[in-house]
Amino acid sequence: MTDFLQLTAAGLSQGSVYALLAVGLIATYTVRHVVNIAQGDYAMLAGLGSISLVSAGLPLPLAILVALVSVTLASVLIERLVISRVKNLTTLVSIILTLGVSTLLQAIMLLVWGAEARRLPAFPGEDLVIGGVSIRSQELWMLGALIVVGGGVLLFYEKTRWGKALRASAEQPVAARIVGISPAAASIIAFAIAGFVGAVAGVVSSPIYLSIWSGGLLLGLKGFVAAVLGGLVSFRAAIVGALLLGILESYVAGYVASGWKDAVAFFILIIVLIIRPAGLVLRPNAVRV
Amino acid sequence: MTLLDKTEGSVRSKTGFWPNNRATIIGIAVLTVIILIVPFTASSSMMNIAVFSMIFALPAIGLSLLMGLAGQVSLGQAAFFAIGAYTHAILLQKFEMPGVVAAIGGVVAAMLAALLVGLPMLRLRGHYLALATLGLGFIVMIAVREWDFTGRTTGIYGFGRPEVFGISIDNNGLFFWFVAPFVIIGLILALNLTRSRAGRALSAVNDSELAAESLGVNTYSLRVKVFTLSAGFAGLGGVFYAYHVQIVSPQVAEFHVSVELLLMVVIGGLGSVWGAIAGAFIVELLSEGLRDLIPAIIPGATGEVQLIGYGLVLILVILLLPGGLYQVVRTVWAAIRGRAGRRADAAAASAAAEGAAVGEVPTRAFGGLPAEPGDAGALFDTDADADADADAAATDTGGSDLAEAALPAVSTPVPAGEPILEVRGLTKRYGGVVAVNDVSFTVPAGRIMGLIGPNGAGKTTCFNMITGAISPTSGTVSFLGEEVQGRKPHVGAVRGLTRTFQNLQVFSSTDVEGNVYMGRYRKGRAGILRGMLGLQGREQYAHEDIARDILDAMRLGDVASLPAGDLPFGRQRMMEVCRALALEPALLLLDEPMAGLSGHEREMLAALLRRLRDAGLTIVLVEHDVAQVMALADSVAVLDEGELIAHGDPESVRNDPAVIVAYLGTDAEEAKAELEELEEQS
Repeated sequence: MTDFLQLTAAGLSQGSVYALLAVGLIATYTVRHVVNIAQGDYAMLAGLGSISLVSAGLPLPLAILVALVSVTLASVLIERLVISRVKNLTTLVSIILTLGVSTLLQAIMLLVWGAEARRLPAFPGEDLVIGGVSIRSQELWMLGALIVVGGGVLLFYEKTRWGKALRASAEQPVAARIVGISPAAASIIAFAIAGFVGAVAGVVSSPIYLSIWSGGLLLGLKGFVAAVLGGLVSFRAAIVGALLLGILESYVAGYVASGWKDAVAFFILIIVLIIRPAGLVLRPNAVRV
Repeated sequence: MTLLDKTEGSVRSKTGFWPNNRATIIGIAVLTVIILIVPFTASSSMMNIAVFSMIFALPAIGLSLLMGLAGQVSLGQAAFFAIGAYTHAILLQKFEMPGVVAAIGGVVAAMLAALLVGLPMLRLRGHYLALATLGLGFIVMIAVREWDFTGRTTGIYGFGRPEVFGISIDNNGLFFWFVAPFVIIGLILALNLTRSRAGRALSAVNDSELAAESLGVNTYSLRVKVFTLSAGFAGLGGVFYAYHVQIVSPQVAEFHVSVELLLMVVIGGLGSVWGAIAGAFIVELLSEGLRDLIPAIIPGATGEVQLIGYGLVLILVILLLPGGLYQVVRTVWAAIRGRAGRRADAAAASAAAEGAAVGEVPTRAFGGLPAEPGDAGALFDTDADADADADAAATDTGGSDLAEAALPAVSTPVPAGEPILEVRGLTKRYGGVVAVNDVSFTVPAGRIMGLIGPNGAGKTTCFNMITGAISPTSGTVSFLGEEVQGRKPHVGAVRGLTRTFQNLQVFSSTDVEGNVYMGRYRKGRAGILRGMLGLQGREQYAHEDIARDILDAMRLGDVASLPAGDLPFGRQRMMEVCRALALEPALLLLDEPMAGLSGHEREMLAALLRRLRDAGLTIVLVEHDVAQVMALADSVAVLDEGELIAHGDPESVRNDPAVIVAYLGTDAEEAKAELEELEEQS
């Protein structure tokens, strides 16, 4: 039983990382209808960046802050230099483009930081032991990051005027422009949010799950699986889905074999798609006839 | 797929396996010569690149078909490559099968796997499919890495190279010659496929899936087939890889292999099979070059350093050269031809310009012919003998009574007057909004029924439910006694139910004749295999001739080879009608066919519809022009706010108080007066 609870706790913390990435993916998808394959690479970039800053002598909080801001700016830069350059952004083009960005980011990380995984020092705090189950303070940081940052983005999109305007600009670009929302600005804000939440996920998870140049793709994909559970539009469903995914992975790693852990997400993806393919596409891009 | 529109021109049919078009023959001859001489001239490192580009050209051709033809991006092509390689290696090493059996086993395993995962996955669209294929790639990689049977991280090794016709293929040069014929045959098969019935249907699907399905194209089934075929190419590539490298490890399933394959297709030009081969060579060259170059610039760089080039090139090609190499070649080729043949073409060009100008004069109705008095009457003779017309489309239609004899064939599975379409309790709700509420009516065969109603009455929604474009919340639609509601449009279409669209759904990647040819899809039989082998030319030519005859009869013959998107609006609408008629329908649904037509054009279309009805065709039309509908239809149904408020012959509907109120929103007396006034004006 203790094992079970221990695995659940680990799964929750891991799931909170997926949840943050899912939030980032949905943020860009609702505004630009782009599934950003580079989403997970933001996490790795922020992790590796802050590790370098810490080893250069910066205090941990400052290093993290600089990394978060830089990755957010990088995401905006990507939007400006690449995504916004294409006039007719079809699904095919958007996938190839963000795949190109992801590959490029990975290669840059490989050249700058090398092929080995690195670790950020753990954040301050005491480990928690409840009924024999020990929860590392870092895991609490991860859950906390989800609650603060993920919850913040959710509230921003659902409750604030600006957030609603962002969604409106995706649904009705012309109408949004008429009421004064520039699609370009909406897109920039969405990518900034995606960059920021991705970076947060990368920084809080680095002390336990490490940062490595090639790790982003898999991480981003798991975020996508969670986002799919939320139909690519619902933050809440995606967050719940991400936490469940994390827990399930943790059980597989604990009770089956750790090597198979990474396959869980894709089995879920394919099974969900087989069982309820139509239910996942909440708003099909139907042609008006 | 806009990318595709730019790169693919109009496609014509061909017959026979071997290419019959000059550019293709020259291309294949040049490729063959290059392949013959490369092993004699290339350095050993170059030879290595050449060998791997041949191996990877196969999965790239497959991916190019999938992306270009089926419009589906796969990020997991490496999975099928790996399945082919592993199966080959395992059959050789663990089961000691003969080489040929092991090779076939590899290809079959890849295709089976693709079929298995394709069946559920290809119901998905866009992002979902792309990321599902990416997930599949990971699953395969994890599976081969974790499974004892596949040798975990070390993989499968220690199997020999089977001899081929008693020759031991033990050097790069021989192996190159061994693979090359497979690549060339694969290329020809793929080229044949793009020009086949199935290939043209798929490119129509990329232009407008709904229109293609309404002509009887089963999109899903075609996509599954192309996906499976694409995996077959990948599997064959994997077999050659295993044969050549003699060790298969989880590396072959890694994601960057899929990226590499995607890059080959993107560089070559999406949808261009030739481009995939060129792309394979360029990517191999790039990869090898970067592996040497990067560590020289950045000391200590190891691992997959070539990825930086992949990422950059992917982005730059899509941003700056979305058509890839294929686009460059086409542009250069056009420039060369333009310079060489400028003088010769001058006369023809000016003639063409004249023709185009004629086409843009809207008063010329559907035809580019001079609008002489009586011309319209000759074309749409309302007294035409229906029986003679019905089967006349396929016959030679020369002579003075061209118009009369050229009415396209229609099918009449039900005697006139018997019900052909029955709608019962049709309802559509969107959330709390009821768009169509409990609508029931019967359409008798050989009649024209008009469906009218104010804006937002649910006319088009009704139409979409009948044709299968959307599923009803409840209710049934029986066509020829069979329930078709909630099924895809092609289900009704293959039984003879087709439609046109209020917002035109033109196949813009092909020409006018190509559009009408697609209407013949239901009448064709050739599948993907016959298409690849080029054994369907006769069938295709026959259908092209019929398409041509229909266009001639409708006075669109002069624009048959123009890109469909270049036609003026009225002619595009007429072309859609031709396309629907080419299907030889039993029931034709026209969604606002008169919208955007001039008064003259409307009259001509109305005359045509009458003649078609007299020939036995059943027609249902949604229309705003109430006066036209009243004049044309045998019965009229009126929808208002989703409810069927009246249904009967035009005269009784015209005098129905409920209808008058619905249209004018005032009390019946006043409304009637206004209605009469309106009619006088029109």
